[in-house]
Amino acid sequence: MSHPPSSGRILACERVGYTVQAPGGQLDILKDISIELKAGETLAIVGASGSGKTTLLGLLAGLERPTAGRVELVGTDLSDLDEDARARLRRRRVGFVFQSFHLLPSLTALENVMLALEIGGFSEARERAVSALGDVGLSHRLNHYPRQMSGGEQQRVAIARAFAGDPAILFADEPTGNLDRRTGDSIADLLFTINQDHGTALVLVTHDLRLAKRCARLEEMESGRLVEGSAGSGAPHPAGNLTAEHVD
Amino acid sequence: MNSFSLSHRLLLRQGRSGSLSLLVAGLLVATAALVAVSVFTDRVGRALERQAGEALAADIAINSRSRIPERFEAEARRRGLDTARLITLNTALFVGEDSLLVEVKGVSDGYPLRGTLETAPRSNVAGATSNDIPAVGEAWMAPRGLRQLGAEVGDIALFGVHELPITRALTFEPDRSGGPFLLAPRLLVHLDDLESSELLGPGTRARHRLLAAGDEASVDEFDDWLRGEIDPSVHRILTASDADDQTGAALAQARRFLGVAALTTLILAAVGVLLSSLRFARSQRDLVALLKSFGASGSEVMRALGLMLFWLVAIAIVLGGLLGLLAQAAIAHALAEGQGQALPPPRLWPVLSAGSFTLLMAIGFALPPLLNLRQVPPMRILNQSLDQRVGLSWILWAVPIICAMAIPIIQLGNFQLAAIVLGASLALAGLLATAGWVAMRASGALASKARASWRFGLAGLRRRRAAGVIQITALGLGLMALLLLMIVRTELLGQWRGSLPESTPDHFAVNIQPDQVDAVRQTLLDAGAQRLQIRPMANVNLVDSTGELNDDRFGRQVNVSWIDALPPANRVAAGEFFTAESTGEVSLAERWADRTGVRLGDTLTFESGAEQFTARVTSIRDVEWDSFNVNFFILMSPDAGERLPHQNIASFYLADDDSGALRAISRSYPNVSTIDVGALLERVSDIIDRVSSAAQVVFVFTLLAGLIVLLAALEATRDERRHESALIRTLGADNALIRRGLLIEYGIMALIAASLATFGAALVGWLLARELFDFSYQPSALLFAIGFTSAFVLIVGSGWWGNRSVLATPPVRILRTGKA
Repeated sequence: MSHPPSSGRILACERVGYTVQAPGGQLDILKDISIELKAGETLAIVGASGSGKTTLLGLLAGLERPTAGRVELVGTDLSDLDEDARARLRRRRVGFVFQSFHLLPSLTALENVMLALEIGGFSEARERAVSALGDVGLSHRLNHYPRQMSGGEQQRVAIARAFAGDPAILFADEPTGNLDRRTGDSIADLLFTINQDHGTALVLVTHDLRLAKRCARLEEMESGRLVEGSAGSGAPHPAGNLTAEHVD
Repeated sequence: MNSFSLSHRLLLRQGRSGSLSLLVAGLLVATAALVAVSVFTDRVGRALERQAGEALAADIAINSRSRIPERFEAEARRRGLDTARLITLNTALFVGEDSLLVEVKGVSDGYPLRGTLETAPRSNVAGATSNDIPAVGEAWMAPRGLRQLGAEVGDIALFGVHELPITRALTFEPDRSGGPFLLAPRLLVHLDDLESSELLGPGTRARHRLLAAGDEASVDEFDDWLRGEIDPSVHRILTASDADDQTGAALAQARRFLGVAALTTLILAAVGVLLSSLRFARSQRDLVALLKSFGASGSEVMRALGLMLFWLVAIAIVLGGLLGLLAQAAIAHALAEGQGQALPPPRLWPVLSAGSFTLLMAIGFALPPLLNLRQVPPMRILNQSLDQRVGLSWILWAVPIICAMAIPIIQLGNFQLAAIVLGASLALAGLLATAGWVAMRASGALASKARASWRFGLAGLRRRRAAGVIQITALGLGLMALLLLMIVRTELLGQWRGSLPESTPDHFAVNIQPDQVDAVRQTLLDAGAQRLQIRPMANVNLVDSTGELNDDRFGRQVNVSWIDALPPANRVAAGEFFTAESTGEVSLAERWADRTGVRLGDTLTFESGAEQFTARVTSIRDVEWDSFNVNFFILMSPDAGERLPHQNIASFYLADDDSGALRAISRSYPNVSTIDVGALLERVSDIIDRVSSAAQVVFVFTLLAGLIVLLAALEATRDERRHESALIRTLGADNALIRRGLLIEYGIMALIAASLATFGAALVGWLLARELFDFSYQPSALLFAIGFTSAFVLIVGSGWWGNRSVLATPPVRILRTGKA
């Protein structure tokens, strides 16, 4: 079911849950989660390892269907869509940045960016890809393979790939998790700058509180639930019960 | 973006980076090996057939007791075939005062269509190739006949109404068949002379034959046409394979050897394709998850990957086909030099069938794992542990693989052989998988009790349980195929060659009268004759049977012998062979019984002179006609010898008649004729040589395919192994511990694979020998030694080699990049 995002709502989930079958019986990974995000808004989801934040990101992005509740992405209720329909929805509206970059090792930087554009059906894939790589400062490395680049450069390519199609919303999973602090900072700067330029909504999953604080809103997860007091509050920078800079 | 262009891009981009190399190598080597083997064996098979065709003097012949219709010859000519006619007839020949029963053969121009005649200017001179036939008004006679008549080239022979000068001694005719010792000496004349001799009146027992030869396709088409036209009760079609007992049997045997060789290559190729496909499909899971997260739909990804596979297979088939053709051409060239006889040109259909085999293999082995990729959840990109969707039904695998396997079975046309080799491979695969699984479980239990490198090695096996089972199965199957081919190449071929030992009888002496037997025997033994057998033979008429005779060709004169025990090269197929005390019993060769319709328990009535006697069929024998022993269709109980006038036949081996024993026998006993069948023996020996060379070539390709299997199997877990090794080195393990651990892990795999593969190869070898090659094969210690040594050298060696970079790279780099 499709709604024009006239209300400015780009993402919403209501009472979402996710359960898997484990050897010892059912395992609830996520329970009763509700979130709403407006166009251009930035949201950080923080939590300890195993708290379910990455799974939540996958459900919000339509990579998987929740076992309970509903998710609405760019005005479309994902509950009624099969995997292919959800994929079609992601094509032009959704971008991703992953912790381990997920560049195809057999493709050059340019080809990696082009591939996502080609899947999205963009006509000037090459031109857009060249321009996107220019935006992240990699014009001189278009024809390099991932193995010939540093971690920071690889993540830049991934950021270029994510923004090249000008998506309405970007999902980032620990984008600086595999990088040293300095490189991580410069990647975060780049990510937020481009995000602002494009006016893209951002959902950022991280356990790095410094990075999380750069988002307009912050939600904290614990054992598959949003920590009370932070859920959907929209309050900027709630510290919640996080006391350390990094939560591991 | 459409699937077509996505597949293109993925293929080009991944291909350039080398990530598809093992799959392409697997498919390419499989195709190249198949093409080389099937084209080469096809060419060798046709060369052998052509060689056997010489024994028919044609590619195809029609036999009849009556004149063969003109339209058969006209049709053959219309199809572009060469033709010739011949008529044979037994008749008395007079030269001066002497007379002799001879077999006259009248031949038309063009005879022989295959092979050549050899003639000599006199009877005691060696023959040389002759490119013509006797002119009208001339006759050529076999030296044996000249000796028996006391005649010589230049004498005048009276036959029918003709008086023909004998102008040459006929020393060799390619299509002399039917057992040389049974025939009257040959007189060769022009067909026109025989037709005008007035010997072909009603009631004569002339045999007519139409010969045809030409290109294979036309011969095959003519053969098909002919089978719809002939009256089977009047005409009989002969092709190269039934030209002659000895070469025919050798040809069939040769085909079986090449068939086993080709099948083992197929098994290896299949395993190679399976392993590389599985690895390829596994390596594509991340790509699929990524593409899906970007918004590619499952069906788009599948179509793209399916197309990509298609391109890969197409490239492998074209390149592999060319490579295979080149390789077999080089080999054929090298082999032809030694033999002075070129092979027939390659045909396209073995290439096509090899191509379709690879295609079906790829569809069977590579497509299902690729189709399974449709199920890869995009969530995998965030968390691999969420990628747990089940795979597709086994039917997707089974159907194309069964189709692929049907190709060689149809191609070989020998279901039993295919069933033994493929069935045993399947059974072995099951056994290997089970043994692998048990070993993995056991190693898990042992690992907890072991220390240091043993724990590392055993735990390695346990951790990679699924991969380990596949590896052990693939390695074991590959090893079995190689060992089996080794058995075929060395041991079975050796035993075949051994079945024609140096002292295989190469001479026959016929018409030895009973009172001459002892003296002839002594003369031959003194001259150094070996394997001397002298057997009685009588010519009787078969006049009645309690059963029904369905072939009148055997209804009249037959040669019989008698004996008190089952002779060598004979096996009782039904009934019980008579003893020295038995009377009134007869034993029939299976082939004769089948043709005539006589059955066990029938009573046959024979006539010799004025006397008639009966004998009951008490056994049917399976006779090795290619043994070069004196064999008889009909053997009687010893009492027959008392009432039948008879002569004797001797068979023996005499390498060089330096002492002139044969001439001495001819001089002392003019009635005795000696016949040299050395040329026939040489032909069989040549067939064995060709098959040996062919098997050698196949072996090289099989080895290559085997190496691909090995690499693919070991490659499957290499990255994981590297990562683990790096990890425990980081924890402080030294290189020696890692080396020992790898040695233990690979050593256990080699041990299981070698034990079962050696056992499997020995069993299949034994089964093949017993069921198809008529040998009794005993696996040698060498097989086991080679099996175990090669398994350890190849598996442990290549495992070691593949992992050597682990030890040479700083562990931190491996851990950081995941690559050594």
